[in-house]
Amino acid sequence: MATFRAVTASTLARLPALLLVAVALVQLWLVRTQHLSAWSGGGFGMFSTADVWARRHLHAFEIAPGFRREIEVPESLREALRGALALPSESRVRDFALQLADVTAEADAPRDAVSVIVYAPRFEPGTLAPSAEPLRAVRVDLRGDAP
Amino acid sequence: MKSPFGRLLREIDEAPRADLARRLTLVALLLHPVGGAWTRPAIALCAAAGLLFETVRRQPSFWAALFALAAWRVLGAWPLGDNHAWLLAYWLLALLLATRARDGDARLAWNGRMLIGLVFAFATLWKLIAPDYLDGRFFLVTLIDDARLEAFTQLAAGLDGGEISALRDLVREHTDGIRPPAASDPELPARLLGLAGALTLSLLALESAVAVSFLAPVASRLARARHALLLGFCAAVYALAPVEGFAWLLLSMGVASCETTRIRTRRAYLLVFAFVLLASRWPWLRALAG
Repeated sequence: MATFRAVTASTLARLPALLLVAVALVQLWLVRTQHLSAWSGGGFGMFSTADVWARRHLHAFEIAPGFRREIEVPESLREALRGALALPSESRVRDFALQLADVTAEADAPRDAVSVIVYAPRFEPGTLAPSAEPLRAVRVDLRGDAP
Repeated sequence: MKSPFGRLLREIDEAPRADLARRLTLVALLLHPVGGAWTRPAIALCAAAGLLFETVRRQPSFWAALFALAAWRVLGAWPLGDNHAWLLAYWLLALLLATRARDGDARLAWNGRMLIGLVFAFATLWKLIAPDYLDGRFFLVTLIDDARLEAFTQLAAGLDGGEISALRDLVREHTDGIRPPAASDPELPARLLGLAGALTLSLLALESAVAVSFLAPVASRLARARHALLLGFCAAVYALAPVEGFAWLLLSMGVASCETTRIRTRRAYLLVFAFVLLASRWPWLRALAG
């Protein structure tokens, strides 16, 4: 019992450092698997890459038979937009697409789907010619019977 | 009969390192308020109360409240919370645990040392594995695109406003795919390339040195230079980078891990704390750049 207490006390004393390591390792994994920006997520990747979430961008489109039109992201979704840019996981971008479809829905203009593509900035070595790499593309079907 | 400044200096010299670290942390929270619409005034009020009343800052519940606000701020903003917000939450947890412990001073010193070492270790790791750091692209883009560094870029790379503006248009150009270099793209000046290369290597070297010195055993030779390295890093980097809140947090942790007998080193921490305040409030680079 005394040993258990000593181990607990020792772990508790080191909790801040242990938490830092745990969060940083999760952040590393999220950057590698879900395209989290290295600047975000508590992994101390600041000042290591030009791929900061504020330099990322996305395009959202509404799709119906015969047309595909870009949707402007309304002010009310700015926070969700920032989240989707920083961590464009499949689920987060899908949630964002659903919110966007909901907020911009018009009764007289039914849509089949909404698609969202998130891009990250890339700069050519030597010239800094800018490019954008698609990180995640998600299509959300708004009709239940759609494929 | 001592002057008021002498009395203040003596009080600071004799203060336990944990209390000095607590006070510096609270000063940092007042000088650089953090949080959103609700958490910001609450954190600032707590910091002011803790600074005014010693009995308040000795209470675990006081640090628990501050830690809860900082943790809420980070978790509520996931994944957008910046690294400063994360580090503040860890540090406030360390301060809370220290107020509850019998050997609080030593525990805080250990956590301060480890947090600094780990922050710099992960910062170094990211610079080594990022695809665009080691070849200088990160600093090239930052020097060109970050308006806060424009005066520094003008002075150090010898560029005028027009040249920076042309380069900024290039890196901000909107593309949705691969865009090959064009003949009309502005060329990267040799001095800018040299500056980016020098900053890339010096920041990596300095951060890795701080990491190693803080993570090494206290009695080792590597650890002897840790305070000088951290102070040098803060003075050099935060005179240019506008992230004073992060600098003050690192300095508060450094003070917590600095033995009370090392009067000169403790004073150096306070001096660098004041220097970062001055550098962040006075646009000295813009004044130099004209």
